[in-house]
Amino acid sequence: MATLPDGTQLPGKLFIVEGIDGSGKSTQLDLVHKWLTTAGYMVAFSEWNSSPLVAKATKRGKKKQLLTPTTFSLMHAVDFSQRFQQQILPALRAGAIVLADRYVYTAFARDAARGIDREWVREVYSFAVKPTVALYFRVPLEESLRRIIVGRPTLKYYEAGLDLGLSDDPYECYRIFQGRILREYDAMVDEFGLTVIDAAAPLVQQQEIVRQIIAPHLEGALQIEPNPWRDVLGKEHLSGRYLDSLAHPGGQPL
Amino acid sequence: MTEVKFYGHGLPNVENLSLPGKLIVLEGPDGVGRSTQVALLREWLEAQGYAVFTSGLRRSELASAGIEAAKQGHTLGHITMALFYAADFCDRMEREIIPMLRAGFVVLTDRYIYSLMARYMVRGVDRCWLQSLMGIALVPDAVFYLKTTVQALVPRVLSTRGFDYWEAGMDFLPSSDYYQSYVDYQQRMLHMFDELSAEFGFSVVDASGSIDAVFADLRDGIGKIVAELKARPV
Repeated sequence: MATLPDGTQLPGKLFIVEGIDGSGKSTQLDLVHKWLTTAGYMVAFSEWNSSPLVAKATKRGKKKQLLTPTTFSLMHAVDFSQRFQQQILPALRAGAIVLADRYVYTAFARDAARGIDREWVREVYSFAVKPTVALYFRVPLEESLRRIIVGRPTLKYYEAGLDLGLSDDPYECYRIFQGRILREYDAMVDEFGLTVIDAAAPLVQQQEIVRQIIAPHLEGALQIEPNPWRDVLGKEHLSGRYLDSLAHPGGQPL
Repeated sequence: MTEVKFYGHGLPNVENLSLPGKLIVLEGPDGVGRSTQVALLREWLEAQGYAVFTSGLRRSELASAGIEAAKQGHTLGHITMALFYAADFCDRMEREIIPMLRAGFVVLTDRYIYSLMARYMVRGVDRCWLQSLMGIALVPDAVFYLKTTVQALVPRVLSTRGFDYWEAGMDFLPSSDYYQSYVDYQQRMLHMFDELSAEFGFSVVDASGSIDAVFADLRDGIGKIVAELKARPV
C-alpha cells in the first residue's frame, strides 16, 4: 500500500529507488518496469526533475547560475509537486503501480548536503505519499565515482556542487558533495525505513533481490490487457501495421 | 533592520549578516491601489535622500516567466503554484532584497508572504505547511495593510482593467459568473487578511479614502521608520 500523510491507504503501489549518482538505481528500476509491464500490470513511471512546466525555469536558473541552495530546493519541489498531483497520486488512486526514479529522499539528501535545514525541507514535502517500498541502492563513494567519471569529460556546475565552493576542482568538489549526500542517505535508512540494496553486487543479482522484495506487494494491483486489439486483428484479418507507432498505456513503446 | 530575524527556519548563510536597510511591506487586496502608493512613496523617499529599491510578487528573474506560463495554462495545482511563488519570492529575497538591505536601502515591497498565504489558505492549502514554507521570509520592519471593502474595490476594478480570472477566484469557486465570483473571492481574501493582520501585527491604513489621504497616512508611518537611517550615533 501507498499511504497518504493522513494515514489513508491508497489502492495503488508506489515503488521508488534512491541512491547517489552512479549507484545503478535507474538501470534496476528500468528492469523492474519491463518485468511488471510484461506481467500485465498498469505501470506509471515518474522521473525526478522531469516536469515540462518547470523545466524552463530550472534550466534558466542553472544556465545563468541564479540558483541558491534554497531556490534550487524550491524549484525541485515545484517539479515534484506537479508530477505528484497530476501523475503519481491519480495513478495510485486508480490502483496502479507507480515507479519513481528518485523521490523526496533525493531532496532531503541533496538539500541537506547544500546546507538547507533538514526539518524545513521535510515539511515542504510533507504532502507526499509514503512509498510501499523505498529501495536505497547503497554503493561505496569510490565505486560510484569510477562509474560516473569514466567517459565523462566535464561535470555540470550544480551536479558537481560547484555552487557550494567546496573546491575549485570540479572533480574534487563532486567527490566531497557526493560524500555528503551519501552520509545523508545513510542517516535516512532508519528514519524512513529505506530498504538497502548492495549496489556493489553484480547487476543481475541485485535485480533478483529487488524482484523478491517487490513481488509480495503486487497482489491487487491494476492489470491491463497488454494487446487489447489482438482479437480484432484476428477477426477482421488486419495486420495492425499502424498500431506500432502507438504508445503502450504504461508509457512504454511497444 | 536592527536584527536579522526570520519567520521560520530562514535562509542559510544569512544569519550573521548585518542588514542596516529597512524592509517595508505594502499589503492589501487586488485593486486597492498598492502600486500607485509604491510609486508615490518611492519618489517621496528619494526626494528625502533615501535610496529605494522596490520589489513585488512574480518579479524574479528565476521564476516569473514560468509562473506566467503556468497561469496561462491554468494547469498547476494549488500546492505546486504555492511552491512556484515561494521560489519566486526566495529568488528575490536572496538576490535582491537582502543585498539591498545590506547596502542600506529602503526596500519597499508591493505584497509579501501574507498575500501568498491568504491566497492559498482560501483555496484550502494547509496553513501550517504554508507558514513553514514561508518561514524563509525576513520579518519586515513594518507591514502597512491597505484595508478596504469589496464595495469600494468593485468600481476601481471596473474602471481599470476589468475582472481577472485569478482575482475572481475562477480557478476554484463554483460560480461561472465573474462578478459573483469576484465578490465572493475578495470577501474571503479580506477575512483572511484580517486574520493575518491580527496574527502578524500589520499597521492598518484605511484605504477607502482618497489617494491623498492614504498617501499621507503611509508617508507618516514610513517616515518614522526610515528616520532611524539618518540618526547618527551620539
